[in-house]
Amino acid sequence: MIDVLISAAVLASMYGLIAIGISFTWASIGMLNLAQGFIFTAGGYTAWLFAQYAETLGMEGPALSVGVLVFGMGGSALAGLLVGAVAFLPLQDRANFRTRSLIATLAISLMGTQLWLVLFGSQNKPLPPIFGEGRFEIANAGISSQQLGTIIVASFMLAAVIMWMRSSRHGLQMRAMMMNPLGAAVVGVSVRTTGMRVLAISGALTGLSSVLLAQVFFVSPTSGTQPLVIGLIISLAGGLGSIPGTVAAAGLIGLAEAMTARYLQQSLVPFVLFGIVVLILIFRPRGLGGLLEDVRE
Amino acid sequence: MSNQSQRLIGRRAYRPHWPVNSSRVFKRRRWPGTKRSILKLSGRYNPKTLRREMVLTDKKPLFWFVGLLALLLLPIGVSTDRIYTMFGIICIYAAINVMWTLIIGTAGLQSFATLATVGVGAYGAGYLSVTYGLPWPAMLIAGAILGGVMGWLISLPARRLDGLYYALLTLGLSEFMRNFVTQSDALGGKFNGALFGVARIVPSDLLTSSTGQALLYGTAFIALLIALGVFRWVNGGRTGILLRTAATSKEDEAFASALGIDFNKERTRVFIIASAMLGFLGAFYATYIGGTSLQIFSLELLLLLLAMIVIGGLGRPEGAVVGTVVVVGITQWFTDWGPWRIMLVGALALASVLFTRNGLFGLKDQIREIRERRKALHRAAITGRYAEYLPQQAPEIGDKSEIVGRVFERTLRARLRSWINPDLIAEHQAKPMGQHSDHLERMLNYFRKAPIPDKYAVYCEVPFESYRVVALSGLPGVPPRIVDDKIYPTLDEAYHAVFLRRVNDLRAS
Repeated sequence: MIDVLISAAVLASMYGLIAIGISFTWASIGMLNLAQGFIFTAGGYTAWLFAQYAETLGMEGPALSVGVLVFGMGGSALAGLLVGAVAFLPLQDRANFRTRSLIATLAISLMGTQLWLVLFGSQNKPLPPIFGEGRFEIANAGISSQQLGTIIVASFMLAAVIMWMRSSRHGLQMRAMMMNPLGAAVVGVSVRTTGMRVLAISGALTGLSSVLLAQVFFVSPTSGTQPLVIGLIISLAGGLGSIPGTVAAAGLIGLAEAMTARYLQQSLVPFVLFGIVVLILIFRPRGLGGLLEDVRE
Repeated sequence: MSNQSQRLIGRRAYRPHWPVNSSRVFKRRRWPGTKRSILKLSGRYNPKTLRREMVLTDKKPLFWFVGLLALLLLPIGVSTDRIYTMFGIICIYAAINVMWTLIIGTAGLQSFATLATVGVGAYGAGYLSVTYGLPWPAMLIAGAILGGVMGWLISLPARRLDGLYYALLTLGLSEFMRNFVTQSDALGGKFNGALFGVARIVPSDLLTSSTGQALLYGTAFIALLIALGVFRWVNGGRTGILLRTAATSKEDEAFASALGIDFNKERTRVFIIASAMLGFLGAFYATYIGGTSLQIFSLELLLLLLAMIVIGGLGRPEGAVVGTVVVVGITQWFTDWGPWRIMLVGALALASVLFTRNGLFGLKDQIREIRERRKALHRAAITGRYAEYLPQQAPEIGDKSEIVGRVFERTLRARLRSWINPDLIAEHQAKPMGQHSDHLERMLNYFRKAPIPDKYAVYCEVPFESYRVVALSGLPGVPPRIVDDKIYPTLDEAYHAVFLRRVNDLRAS
């Protein structure tokens, strides 16, 4: 039972990072960033490049781990800015922004996969283990250091971002844009600057989850699809724009996936997840914590 | 849009027309079993020759006919394997895109479940065929039924979710399907998800000959025709008309339900019809290539299909078909470019989102609008004279010489106004009648030709004693009205008073 909970927590923390990125972006600038998969792989590849370089330098231990994390997040943040420059800035004040930016981000993700294919080939790239190889015993259940590290780092980053959103000046600007974009613009919050900032931050969160997920799976051109899809349905089930809702939905989905994989079959996981999300959305069409849509309309 | 209604101003769109024998009664041809006419024709008298003639009001069917004929004949004419493969894919993808257009455009549901439905049809029918030896006609029916059931299932959340939420929910569906197929043993999990040995429409021994290839291509073309027929049947029918009321926004939906239109029901119906058709196409695809693979569930293919629709123009069947020709043309013809050709397609899709309003088929209207705006600006820049009477601004004035007259009047008044000064008024006061200076003479001439209603005149109460200023009514039998209570002892003073009033009016105009 405990090991199910642990793997649920690991899944939830990784998916939650992506989902919160999507949710933030949607709530503050009204853009559904479906290039999140591209951003995800961008982080993975940057971290891999750094790891290759660090190997030639003979870097090891915590320095390597921190470097991989930082470079993964940085690469994804840059990719987020790139997406913003292509899909957000030119379209932001045009008619039909939502649909057009959606299509633009999809086009970016179509091109992104091919770009990685050209640059890095189709082989899987492994990242060095950043949390060591150890195992701990907690209440009769084993937890690997990788799982523990994932949970700790993800929740730390999440807490940091939420704190920053709550207490900093920039966070205030973002929250203002989430509540009322027009009102925020009227009182002098720059939509473009804040939007780019949001994209960079959600990119960094995605990059972090990319590095964490690459501990289990590898980095490959199409490795962003699955996290994107799961992130999408979590942010959907959590209510786009609501952080508590998204965290709750991530926990729920992670638990459901872990339990289905354990007690039922791995092949049923997609259907269980999809069914849960559909159920949530049927009873709460705006998601678990969603209030925002009324404001946006 | 613009070829349906004639524009009032500017160059008119060419419409094919031909003389008719007016002694014979015209019989309108209609599609069998329906009241829809095949060609939209209307009769008129030729404005120049005054002969009776027939005009084709809607040129679209002609373009469709020519385009589809080219699509059918080109591969058969060239008749190489590569061309057949390419155009077969074009036909099938175009059919899928047309159905997707039906869902996005007509039903207004932003669904990404297209390929998932196609895949369900393909895998379901393929599985039935491989396991139970289903022949191909039964496979097509099974595919349609599976697709319809799938459509019904995924349309359930659509009643509660709107727009983008639904898009997000359905985007993941393909990925889930792919996972399911990979991990299920029954559906060919052993061959990495591929299914072989599905019954084929054209017998396998024929396939190597060019006749067989042509036949196979013909079946794909027929699938496209069926899809287009379904599109026209749904979109042009009652359902389509009802849904167009609730097409674009929340307000429209409120309006539609106020009219008593159950748009959710209609949407679901369209969605299920389109999904059944997608399942049918999936089954057809399985029989066409003799199997299926997991590629059908890949996000990349879904994005490619979306790129086709976006490049052609969202919500239009012609956009879906032409976009498919462009994209499949690129991806199948330049195979040696590798990933770069997909990048090119992505770049095209991005460009059409960033720079065009609605893909290739929105380009015409967009360019025309830009040109009209440029023209108007240019005309306004070269002369201020007609600026406020540009045809765009004064479309209600039918007689263009009226515009010229008004502009002349305006400039004339402006010039006369600039001549008003105390000297001129003093000159008139000194000598109202007789020879005047040039400026005063011109001004008086202008005053004289003013229209009769409200024209000032001098009224003689007692000759040589009292005169008053009156304004004429301009109507027979209606007496002039007295303007004020001033009485002028001489005729010259009265003349001058009238002059001053007219000068005042000129100043005020």
